[in-house]
Amino acid sequence: MDDRILRHPLRVRVNHWLIALSGIMLIFSGFGEMPMYKRYNVVKIPGLAWSEDFHIMLYIHYIAAIVFMAAVFFHIVYHLRRREFSLLPKRGDLKEGIHIIKAILTGGPEPQHDKYLAEQRIAYAAFGVTILGLIATGLIKVYKNLSGVYINPDILFWVTNLHTLLTMVFVFLLFAHLAAFLIKANRPLFPSMFTGTVRSDYALSRHGKWIQDMKVKTQ
Amino acid sequence: MKPISRRSFLAGLTAGAMAAAIGPANTTEASVRTEKVATLIDLERCNGCVDREVPACVSACRDVNAGLFPKPDKSKIKDYWPQKTHEDWSNKTHLIDRLTPYNWIFVQKVTVSANGHDKDIYIPRRCMHCDNPPCSKLCPFGTNKRSPEGVVYIDPTFCFGGAKCRTVCPWSVPQRQAGVGIYTYLDPLPVGGGVMYKCNLCLNRIREGKVPACIDSCPQKAMAFGSREAIIQEAKRRAAQYNGHIYGLTEHGGTGTLYVSSVDFKKIDHAIVSQSSETKKAMRMHNPENKLNETSWLVKTALIAPVAGAVAAFAATISKKEEKDGR
Repeated sequence: MDDRILRHPLRVRVNHWLIALSGIMLIFSGFGEMPMYKRYNVVKIPGLAWSEDFHIMLYIHYIAAIVFMAAVFFHIVYHLRRREFSLLPKRGDLKEGIHIIKAILTGGPEPQHDKYLAEQRIAYAAFGVTILGLIATGLIKVYKNLSGVYINPDILFWVTNLHTLLTMVFVFLLFAHLAAFLIKANRPLFPSMFTGTVRSDYALSRHGKWIQDMKVKTQ
Repeated sequence: MKPISRRSFLAGLTAGAMAAAIGPANTTEASVRTEKVATLIDLERCNGCVDREVPACVSACRDVNAGLFPKPDKSKIKDYWPQKTHEDWSNKTHLIDRLTPYNWIFVQKVTVSANGHDKDIYIPRRCMHCDNPPCSKLCPFGTNKRSPEGVVYIDPTFCFGGAKCRTVCPWSVPQRQAGVGIYTYLDPLPVGGGVMYKCNLCLNRIREGKVPACIDSCPQKAMAFGSREAIIQEAKRRAAQYNGHIYGLTEHGGTGTLYVSSVDFKKIDHAIVSQSSETKKAMRMHNPENKLNETSWLVKTALIAPVAGAVAAFAATISKKEEKDGR
């Protein structure tokens, strides 16, 4: 076996970072669509005076949303077509996730993982549902901005506030996603989102099920 | 103007018939509930009610909507932290020369030079009820709404008073009152600022088959109400009669409040700006671009983005030569 193992191919890495960067831009411009930046003096931060302009924020939100939605649907169709489902939750993930967290906190032995940890699969499902909800509500919100389009205002009220609520969930999940790297054992995974590879000894020691699975598939 | 049955007017039959029908208000007939409505303000007829202490339209609006005006809890009126300001109009409810949370229509007076001599023009000003209203469409809480009739109104129940609607309105129509609304329940958290207030075109009255109070009360019959199509036809007819001009037909992408005058509105706008003591806050009669309309190409791109992403993924996986990964 080589010294390093490919974990995330280039397309997957590019897709991940497109979603991540556009997602951050969506959060920034989404909060900018709220009347916040002027009130809370964000506009006084050097270089951010323009952030009080709702129309500039709308442009940014639209452009980021275009990238975000295209990347999300690329991700869904790409992995469906390749029948790659290793990030989808499995039966028993919740129990295993608790076991892993206990092991990490107490310094005890972790069970051997698949390509992704049980927590990662649960987080992925949470991200997925949240993102699809954000896209569905966002598309309605975008569509209604066309001249001549009329949507019942009571429906729009719920759509608008659901979009905001899901944004809060998305921000929480994003922080939880980043907080995973506070755990030392997870850190080798971070550079792999740039290089695509992890050290083989790390993979063998922590992701035994994944390595075993790959061996079976290549035989 | 030829008289015509009020039924024709309200039921919205032919455009020509409706145009002729615009005149005395009907307060008992069935309303035009399912079609877009509009109002016409004839500046040739409005005399600003100079013989009255308060113009009739202003007075009627305040009477009819008194129950909707804010009743703030004074103990909750605080500066909008970290800013050192807040907006409290509760001690200025008497003001009738501008829009406030307690005054949803006012009469603006300007003097223009026409045919070699000065002419006073009186302009009743309130919400324009835009066809594509940024205040409503960009409201972050979905509380600034547009009814099927085309009336733009604010639901005070969930309004946080962020005043974005005022910022994106080219005429800065919505006005904020502190110490009232849902944000007071979050006190002392420094969020929200009150509730925004503005003309709702007496939507409840419209749905009861009546016309807006300002229109009903005008002694000069300077304002008319009807289906949008009928109002447009009538505006054109009167503009032709006066050899004059229409405001609101195309401005800001079209508005539900149309004005007609023998004087060019560019001239009127110039007079408003030059005669205003607070030029920045003057309620103008300019021709603002509707920025929502400018971004329609981005909206359309956004709507097809998911499909584009899916098609790209399909194309990327159509080749048998797959990218190697460590699955």
